Amino acid sequence: MSIASFAMPPVAATVATDHSRLNEKIVIRDLDFHYGEVRALKSVSLPLYANRATAFIGPSGCGKSTLLRVLNRMYDLYPNQRATGEVLFDGDNILAPGIDLNLLRARIGMVFQKPTPFPMTIYENIAFGIRLYEKLSKSELDGRVERALRRAALWDEVKDKLSASGLSLSGGQQQRLCIARAVALRPEVILFDEPCSALDPISTARIEELIDELKDTYMIVIVTHNMQQAARVSDFTAFMYLGELIEFGATAGIFTSPRDPRTQDYITGRFG
Amino acid sequence: MALQAGGMAMDTASRVRALARFRMGDALFRQITRAAAVAVLILLGGVILALVEGAWPALRTFGVSFLATQSWNPVTEKFGALAPIYGTLVTSLIAMVIAVPFGLLIALFLTELCPKMLRRPIGIAIELLAGIPSIIYGIWGLFVLAPFLQVYVQPALIATLGDVPGIGYLFAGPPYGIGMLTAGLILAIMVLPFITSIARDVFEAVPAVLKEAAYGLGCTMWEVIRHVVLPYTRVGVIGGVMLGLGRALGETMAVTFVIGNAHKIMPSLFAPGTTISATIANEFTEAVGGLYTSSLVALGLILFVITFIVLAAARYLLLRIEKRSGG
Repeated sequence: MSIASFAMPPVAATVATDHSRLNEKIVIRDLDFHYGEVRALKSVSLPLYANRATAFIGPSGCGKSTLLRVLNRMYDLYPNQRATGEVLFDGDNILAPGIDLNLLRARIGMVFQKPTPFPMTIYENIAFGIRLYEKLSKSELDGRVERALRRAALWDEVKDKLSASGLSLSGGQQQRLCIARAVALRPEVILFDEPCSALDPISTARIEELIDELKDTYMIVIVTHNMQQAARVSDFTAFMYLGELIEFGATAGIFTSPRDPRTQDYITGRFG
Repeated sequence: MALQAGGMAMDTASRVRALARFRMGDALFRQITRAAAVAVLILLGGVILALVEGAWPALRTFGVSFLATQSWNPVTEKFGALAPIYGTLVTSLIAMVIAVPFGLLIALFLTELCPKMLRRPIGIAIELLAGIPSIIYGIWGLFVLAPFLQVYVQPALIATLGDVPGIGYLFAGPPYGIGMLTAGLILAIMVLPFITSIARDVFEAVPAVLKEAAYGLGCTMWEVIRHVVLPYTRVGVIGGVMLGLGRALGETMAVTFVIGNAHKIMPSLFAPGTTISATIANEFTEAVGGLYTSSLVALGLILFVITFIVLAAARYLLLRIEKRSGG
């Protein structure tokens, strides 16, 4: 791994609970979300920290994916879905009208539950997103594609077949291709919506490893059903239940000494 | 078998009987489905055979020159298929040039942009367009569209495009109203619903998450459509276009009304012409003499071959695309 090439200010090897060094990159305040008449999020407030991975956990239908989809305003594609409250991203409310959604989504990348390679070659899958924003020469573009694929730990597997279809890869490779695609745009945040739920255990381990590396550079938010996964990859954990944020705190704390009995029940497997 | 021994004997016997019954049902089902499939092949073979047999006298008399001759003279019994072939191809081409972009745009509007409330009414209206009998298109074309084109559209085209070097000859000559362009327009309207509804169905089949992934990169709607929706659906879209083309090639009644039925190849799109199916429909009743009838059947055979070539070309194109995108 070429750790040295990461163009990042060195993050001191802080313990996750060292709150003094935390930078609140996204602040969610009193967020309500409606699917038509159904209220899916109830007055959710929490901070998300730069260079940390935050996991949203909770039983199905508790609103964790909904919360994730507010962060890049993906819900905007659908009528009848609306969010109220405030989501401050570097101080700007992204729920405000007049926000440039294309720019927002370039700054906040997303990786989905199922791998979503575009119907084009492996190379194009990465280059496509870059070309939307930057005019690069062929060699610069080649370099960016290679760096993104290396960052997603996929380069060695695909370097000889960059012109093959993205759909010809295995599920785990496709998911890493999607991560590379997100990374290639140099976003500030990457959202993961249950990124391993369609993958086998070995691919899952690789993706988790990758997430762990990526958080040196990016802020990571991950929705997961898998409690071990949350414990392994995240620094902070938010437990949600029935549209409410029940508990938020350092992952170690949530998993060892949850304050709320519902959190305790969920992480010990009594429901969900 | 061990199971058949002892107290299970009764049960087992009835089980065996039931199984035998199922097997017979299965075998019967297999035979029926096979018979249905074979029947289609026999029908197709029969049609080809009948066409070849009927066309044989004309093909023997005129040979390959049947394909290359313009003259169509029942009096001297000199027949050539070039004018109808030309008319068929040109009217279908005009129809596709107009209907494909329109159809795709309508389908994209319906799937990507249209408010939910309007989606059904517009969709139903387009399907109704497919339900209008072709004779009605013919009457409407002759009494409404052709005079309208003659008075307003064609003079304007002659005045503007008529002097453009290179393509000017396509828009030259007097505005008759009826002619190749009018026939092509009518065909475009007739195939539009096919292309639209198939394109709409395949566009709707694009997984929402794939579009979200593209939007998630910050794509605009146009970029999502251009780089994700269209590539993902190209096989289905080409299928829809080919279905429309097949219909345009064979459409008879409406074309007969508005094309002018002249066995001549004229460079201008405003000039009257004819198509294969229009010629057959017009002249079958008055075809006296074996060679005349045989020439008409030969035209039918040619149309069959053209349609076959178009379908085969489409298949080939799809294969190429699939290979290139790696399946």
